Amino acid sequence: MTNLIAYIPALPLAGFLLLFFTGRRMSKSMIAFVGAGSVCIAALLTIVIGITFLQSGSSANTQTLWQWMRVGNFSCDISLRLDALSLVFVFIISFVGALIHIYSIAFMRQDEDYARFFASMNLFVFSMLVLVLADNLVLLYLGWEGVGLCSYLLIGFWYKVPANCAAANKAFFITRIGDTAMAIGLFMLFKTLGTLNIADIQQQAATIPNVTTIALLLLMGGMGKSAQVPLQTWLPDAMAGPSPVSALIHAATMVTAGVYLVARMNVLFLLSPAAMNVVAVVGAITLFVAGCSALVQTDIKRILAYSTISQVGYMFLALGCGAWSAAIFHFFTHAFFKALLFLAAGVVIESLHHEHNIFKMGGLKNKMPLLYYTFLAGASALAALPFISAGFYSKDAILWYSWSAGNGNVMLWAVALTGAFITALYSARLVIVVFWGDMKTPIAQQPGKLMTMPLVTLAILSIIAGFVQWPHNLLHVTLFADLVEKVLPATVLKQGIPPELLLQLIAAVVTLGGAYTGYLLYYKSPHIIEQWKTAEPNLNLREFFVKGWRFDELYQTLFVKPFLFITRSNKADVFDKIHQWLVTACSRLNGWLSLSQNGSLRWYIGSMLVGIIFILALQFFL
Amino acid sequence: MDSLQLQALLPFIVLASASVVIILLIAARQSHTVIQITGFLMMCLVVLAMWYVRDVLPRAIMPLLVVDGMAAVFTGLIVFCVLIIGLFSFIYFEEREENPKEYYILIFLGTLGAAVLTISRHFISVFIGLELLSISLYALIAYLRNRNNAVEAGMKYLVLAAMSSAFLLFGMALIYMDTGSMDFDGIAKQLQTQGHSPALFVTGIGLMMVAVCFKLALVPFHLWAADVYQGAPVPVTNFIATVSKIGVFAVLVRFAQAVQLQSYHFAVIIISFVAIVSMVGGNLLAIKQQNIKRLLAYSSIAHLGYLLVAFLPGNAAGIEAGMFYLFAYSITLLAAFGIVTMLSGRQADADQLEAYRGLYWRNPLMGAILTVALLSLAGIPLTAGFIGKFAVLNAGVQQQLWLPVIVLVITSVIGLYYYLRIISTLFAETQVIFPKEKSLHPLFVAGTYGALLVLLILLLGAGIFPSAVIDGIKNFLCQGFRIINF
Repeated sequence: MTNLIAYIPALPLAGFLLLFFTGRRMSKSMIAFVGAGSVCIAALLTIVIGITFLQSGSSANTQTLWQWMRVGNFSCDISLRLDALSLVFVFIISFVGALIHIYSIAFMRQDEDYARFFASMNLFVFSMLVLVLADNLVLLYLGWEGVGLCSYLLIGFWYKVPANCAAANKAFFITRIGDTAMAIGLFMLFKTLGTLNIADIQQQAATIPNVTTIALLLLMGGMGKSAQVPLQTWLPDAMAGPSPVSALIHAATMVTAGVYLVARMNVLFLLSPAAMNVVAVVGAITLFVAGCSALVQTDIKRILAYSTISQVGYMFLALGCGAWSAAIFHFFTHAFFKALLFLAAGVVIESLHHEHNIFKMGGLKNKMPLLYYTFLAGASALAALPFISAGFYSKDAILWYSWSAGNGNVMLWAVALTGAFITALYSARLVIVVFWGDMKTPIAQQPGKLMTMPLVTLAILSIIAGFVQWPHNLLHVTLFADLVEKVLPATVLKQGIPPELLLQLIAAVVTLGGAYTGYLLYYKSPHIIEQWKTAEPNLNLREFFVKGWRFDELYQTLFVKPFLFITRSNKADVFDKIHQWLVTACSRLNGWLSLSQNGSLRWYIGSMLVGIIFILALQFFL
Repeated sequence: MDSLQLQALLPFIVLASASVVIILLIAARQSHTVIQITGFLMMCLVVLAMWYVRDVLPRAIMPLLVVDGMAAVFTGLIVFCVLIIGLFSFIYFEEREENPKEYYILIFLGTLGAAVLTISRHFISVFIGLELLSISLYALIAYLRNRNNAVEAGMKYLVLAAMSSAFLLFGMALIYMDTGSMDFDGIAKQLQTQGHSPALFVTGIGLMMVAVCFKLALVPFHLWAADVYQGAPVPVTNFIATVSKIGVFAVLVRFAQAVQLQSYHFAVIIISFVAIVSMVGGNLLAIKQQNIKRLLAYSSIAHLGYLLVAFLPGNAAGIEAGMFYLFAYSITLLAAFGIVTMLSGRQADADQLEAYRGLYWRNPLMGAILTVALLSLAGIPLTAGFIGKFAVLNAGVQQQLWLPVIVLVITSVIGLYYYLRIISTLFAETQVIFPKEKSLHPLFVAGTYGALLVLLILLLGAGIFPSAVIDGIKNFLCQGFRIINF
């Protein structure tokens, strides 16, 4: 089975190539067949390979396809490595990816660039699979840049609207900051160890002197891709892309690449307590900052975008606390429910004539019951309602470990708990405002079977996916942790923590309290909010949150304006003078040398003789 | 000569007989098509013969020749180039008035000369090979004698090559005078016993370098290149750019290996100097060139300069890098000149850059192939040219040849300019409508397209899976190094 691993990324790649070269001449059904089919087969193959892998009980399967280059002591293999961690990611990418592709068949049907859409999506799936299957960091970086490119292409998919292109550019530029830091980190790793093979790095990690610097640089890369504070500003704008893109790239898979990177490089982080603390603090700040913004947004997709940032923040928090398996578990459940929410949001937007404002929606509960119940399943998982949602199992573990794990403390737990309250509150707000109450916009169309099937599948998974891993004190089921802890270090617990049950109860109460608050504020007695809005400072605070804590304006003042100032004051472009000089020099030299090519034979002979005399002279003077 | 030695020489005997077969066919008044196909089959036969003899290598045929792994690599590359050039020749010459048949005799004789160079281990065989190659080339360059520049180019090459041969002979004589031997190993042995580098030997090497640099068109012996490339028929230009350079480089490598040329300080200085001025001069000359044949001539001057950087270290890594580079360079130029051949009309070659405006939109396949070839010349990743240049750089950096390496990097950047200039022309909008000519020989046109596609696959394949090629070269070289020690 190991020699089949390469087919998982190869299938979407084949789909991409086929669509890229012949997509224009294909019919829409054919495009859908190729685009979605390639990913579906890859998903089935993943399941088959996954089962074989789990049965075999081996810790990792490596498949070397070929050696790209070998120069001196540097070699770069194209080789794939499947272990428990990459298996989880590959499963999510291909399986959720397949569902989203199926959904897109119907969702994008009317679009004239059908082939381009599927080609880009297939390329994305391929790059993402390369990223998580790579056996060395060079290949990982290739996938990393590939997903960045696809993200750029798909955010700007409707390129005729200038705002979409601006959003695509923004995403590209900001993630580039992280990518650059990561590249520097890779260079430093290579300089110290002389290898970028992941297994070798894990073995030799203890010998790295400047491990904190390298870990932090890698973390920067992860923060860019995973939209963590302070590099989070691109993700809300990235919602300019089609909804399936948001579901696949900006919720389920790409934004968790940073989580994958940190988890994969866990050895480096474990060696540097400082880096671990930074990871945890970044996660905690992010989950709070983004949660507050999600509370006050009115655009349905921006709410989900901020909630994604916040949930990825939870994953970083868990990583930083040393709760490796809990972080990956939250990634696992989050992929299902957040993809579901984005897809459902896509249906809502589509049915309501491209309306994004949730306060112009409402009353969809009776008109679109199936959509309502699937959305409810997703929202309750997001809010982490106890027992009946997958989100509960993963988030409860993070909450517990944020205090009890080796690197956790009570402050982190408090922030995470506040975040849980906020999450429940905005989840409730979302469901109530969009689906309950009176209808404000008439419904244009009902979703077809191709769109509801992925929704139902994901909704079921959003409920049951958590059952593979229960809190220790309730039921002894630890299938997920057993799996990933073959690769990741087990979580170490501290002594002297309040009993787990107590913390769980507090968390459950806070979550339910959040949901109830939402119910109270947006359904039962909406006048409280109206009243709250009358006060000036409150409005300012709201504005502050709506603008995403004014990070954009901060960056505008800190970086963009000075940069523009410099470019404006340097209109003549002093630096260009250097290049200009080079160009003039080359051109002048070209002119002089061309004089020698005058076509006259005696001149040629003369030049040869000069050359000979020169060589002989050189010999005798040396 | 025992039977194994004869067996080892089999490919070269087949190659020699190819010319004879063609002469007989011409005497029997056969058509161009028959001659072309026979020539193609003969070249295939050479390849088969090489495959057949690979187990008896290495084998020395004292005192003149040695057939070893290195010779096999170089000869294989030469025969491959001639296979492709022969294919391109058909449609090129069939379109023209002149009688194309004798052309094939000359091409095969030139090939034999280059092949003999790769197996030479003695001054006599070197000289015979070189003259065989040169004399064929004089006639080949001037072959289309009614063309404006053809005879002029042929004459220029004749005079200059004769002069360089004179220097070569004089250099050989001086070395013979000093060491009493014309055999590479004999010279090396004599030098070892002498213990120091005597003036006669040094002068002899200097004079021989002149001839080698002339053949490889290195600055300051490069002035003929542009005129000859422009005046010669396109397939012949292709032949000069690939086959003759492979042969001369092969003999240079073998001689340098035998006498440890790179251990002499003066030799390293001279070669570095020539390499640096070639890289600079070639690239600078090409910048504003509007004639694509001249441009490729200047570009090949620069590329041979790069190649010398790989030659400088004189170790196994350098030779491997050089061989890979030569391989990448040859298939790239084959592809580029192949496109020029395809586009050339009845009256004149398609050598003006204007003829390429918007090529991609008229003929996407040709446009794509030329683009890839130019990217490979510029050394852009995922093409063979990148890996070649990378290997050369690596060989240079490991020996800490900083000056040539830095010049290589800087001049590569300058070179990028004129390659991209052509590429942008290929993709430019065009108003001129080119009439679609009905091709006279659909079979051969298809064959030519097939050859171009093979080259495209090789260009990309060697860029993506270079280790296959590198391992192949290494395998053959292992056989080569065994012979050095005996």
